[in-house]
Amino acid sequence: MPRSEFAKKTLLGVVPADSPFYAFHPVTRLTLLLVLSVAPMFIDRPEINLAIIATTFGLFWWGGVRMSDLKKYRLLLVTVALFMFIVAYLAPGEKAQLTPVSLAGLTLYWEPMRWAFVSYVRLMAMLFGAILYFSTNRERDVLVGLRTLHLPFPVSYVAGLSLRSAGMFMEDFATIREAEQARALDLDALSLREKVKLYTMYTVPLFAVALRRADEISAALYARGYTLSGQPGTGGKRTDYLRDKFVVRARDWAVSLGLLGTLVVIAIVSRTTSVFSVQSSPLIAFVEQLLGIG
Amino acid sequence: MSLLEVNDLTFRYEDGTPALRGIDFTVEEGEFIALIGQNGSGKTTFAKSLAGLLRPTTGRVVVDGIDTARKGVIKELVRRIGYVFQNPDHQLFNNNVYAEIAYGPRNLGIDDPERDEIVREAAAVAGVREALFTEHPFFLTKGLRQRIAIASTLAMRPKAIIVDEPTTGQDYRQSAEIMNFLTRLWRDEGHTIIIVTHEMPIVAAYAQRVVALCEGRILLDGTTRDVFARPDELRRTFVKPPQVTRLAQAWGDPAIPSDVITVEELVDGAVSSIAGRSSHSPAGISPGAEPASPRGPGREV
Amino acid sequence: MNAIELNGVTWRYEHAEEPALVDVNLAISEGEFVLVIGPNEAGKTTLVSAIKGLIPNAITGVLKGDVLVFGDRVESIKPPVLAKQIGFVFADPESQFTALTVEEEIVFGLENVGWPRETIGERVEWAARITGVEDLLDKPPYDISGGQKQRVAIASVIAMQPRILILDEPTAMIDPLGKDLVVRICAELKNDHDMTIVVVEHNIEAFAPLADKVVMVNEGRVERIAPPREIFRDLDHLLARDVHPPQVTQVFGRLRERGLYHGELPLSDEEGFAGWRTLLDGAAR
Repeated sequence: MPRSEFAKKTLLGVVPADSPFYAFHPVTRLTLLLVLSVAPMFIDRPEINLAIIATTFGLFWWGGVRMSDLKKYRLLLVTVALFMFIVAYLAPGEKAQLTPVSLAGLTLYWEPMRWAFVSYVRLMAMLFGAILYFSTNRERDVLVGLRTLHLPFPVSYVAGLSLRSAGMFMEDFATIREAEQARALDLDALSLREKVKLYTMYTVPLFAVALRRADEISAALYARGYTLSGQPGTGGKRTDYLRDKFVVRARDWAVSLGLLGTLVVIAIVSRTTSVFSVQSSPLIAFVEQLLGIG
Repeated sequence: MSLLEVNDLTFRYEDGTPALRGIDFTVEEGEFIALIGQNGSGKTTFAKSLAGLLRPTTGRVVVDGIDTARKGVIKELVRRIGYVFQNPDHQLFNNNVYAEIAYGPRNLGIDDPERDEIVREAAAVAGVREALFTEHPFFLTKGLRQRIAIASTLAMRPKAIIVDEPTTGQDYRQSAEIMNFLTRLWRDEGHTIIIVTHEMPIVAAYAQRVVALCEGRILLDGTTRDVFARPDELRRTFVKPPQVTRLAQAWGDPAIPSDVITVEELVDGAVSSIAGRSSHSPAGISPGAEPASPRGPGREV
Repeated sequence: MNAIELNGVTWRYEHAEEPALVDVNLAISEGEFVLVIGPNEAGKTTLVSAIKGLIPNAITGVLKGDVLVFGDRVESIKPPVLAKQIGFVFADPESQFTALTVEEEIVFGLENVGWPRETIGERVEWAARITGVEDLLDKPPYDISGGQKQRVAIASVIAMQPRILILDEPTAMIDPLGKDLVVRICAELKNDHDMTIVVVEHNIEAFAPLADKVVMVNEGRVERIAPPREIFRDLDHLLARDVHPPQVTQVFGRLRERGLYHGELPLSDEEGFAGWRTLLDGAAR
């Protein structure tokens, strides 16, 4: 069947068939992931995390990711936001030490709300960094990146095998759901309690399929001469054909070191100054002024 | 009213891949149909859409008057059309055979003692011995698990049953058993049977009507003989007719109908051709030089 | 020296009461193409697993007798070395595809065996070309069809250029023309590369024309070993055992019974056509 020429499939969705990102070695792209997910941890000030998110989106666009593919994360964003704010509302902590605010008849406490907002923005920055990575890297790129960092082959292989199994698992799960439906199980008509009970019913076929596959996979591995250590039959070092197809270029060094350097600077600045703290945030200050807080 | 009516059915997977591209199709009660076509032609997607397991992206599938796209109709659909999956492991949910066969009726709200009766009846029809009722399905042979799956589907008393690859991986005897069993359901109990398969000799021996899919569309739809009489079109969906049909077509002998589909038919045809010849003294016959056989190859479908 | 030898092999799976193989004696010469047939659970897969060394190395049970590959006992050969000598293609293309792209899958065995980069590159190109998967190298397993997966499985095994290739029901999940492609690949491997090939199949029609020997297995025993035309001669005996020779063979067998045909039993469409011409020429006199 003719498939989309634009994108290649991955477990999580698609990646663009062509992208400026691919000019960089997978390990460089892995470094980008590292920096985008770790940097926000040092930053409280929401404007800066928002700027990081904006940069990430800029990278989405530059990398050729189809923006419409990102729509599927909308629900996640809303759910997490609701969750965090509800927690902040219900469990504010020591009320005596907090600043109450009256809003639409409800008494909210400012500090937990502020914390929820700051944390939410930080979380979104980290999340979009990860989404950017998985939207521009296929499973093979992930593993090549890790192996370039000298992750031992068996670890990388087991990771790959897990990904592959996860993929098969998802397909099996979908088929099992259809099979349940074919036995008159109407999911829409079930109560929540019944739905939960249902999930235990899935375990029987899932285990059956998984057990049989495990048997078959281990036989297949044996048949291709795989030994647990990953050591080749001739002794010596295992050739890593795929990894060696990728070459680390000058631009990879430049970008990776630049990114890592930026991360180090951010870490230092956050520890030694208050540039990244909430107190330095004009946005927060503005909101506090609106609410009439000190 | 037809049992199954399909209007302009299209189906796309979540990632946008098109699987079915505008299919119109009708099934009357009491038919025995084989769905054929290459890997990836959409056979299984089509079969699942017929059973209401997949909702159309556009178009309609109506089973015995019920639109499969409506909400809350699953229990109604399942009483009319059952689906047996290719891999028994995907559809065995319980720890013993009895509970497995009873699962469908339980979901339909049928209680004992009626349910118990139904289970025993379905098991008997499917050839699952009551001695197996307490066994865990996982440890039984594949053929047996497949029959338990069929029994579990029969227990919901559908008018029509779709079976995905009934004979794959089975040896000759097991294949014959399953196909004879489906034939009995069809002929003696009036069920409508639809099978999805790659095995053309099975299609030739058991199906009345053959539907060939190619790239999400119906390529051919007709009687078994009509469809196998069109080998060039069948090639487009990576299918070829059974060997005896191919031989008859290649030989092009006027005394042998080109729509033979069994060994016996070809032998009979060959015998009468030879008998006809020995009383004359013709030169050797070359293939294709003779006109088409008296019975005629496929009419327009 | 035979490529494969089984001497008095008896095997019982760990939790089974009855042995799955009983006193099997079999010798296969290098370059032979052997078709293994018989009902399900007769022991066919067990038999080829024993040749590959899956039994007893990867599966638990009790083994008596010897399995020799080029004169060496299979149990004593280390997996990477054995993988270079014997390749094994399983029936289910899905679960033997463990890598994340087709290329990685083909490369996997080669890395296990210890080949250097250049060799790996050549072998990948060769194997992909023979099996027709060159355009698929970059694709992940969930983006290709069952028939393509099976060809990838074959490619990943033959890339190691084993001297012996075993295929266990390789065409079960594939459409009719796809099955033909697998047969053509086997023919090329046999004719151009002198591989010893053992195929377990229900689809006798596809492989019978290629086979030098047919091994009939029933209830754990090897009942008969003979070239295909010999084995298919006694039609009624075979049908009683639920073994169905190719339709063309059956047709000409019946014609021979009636005294209308006196030549060799055909095994393929082409031989059937030739047989028909012979028959007509005979009838014309």
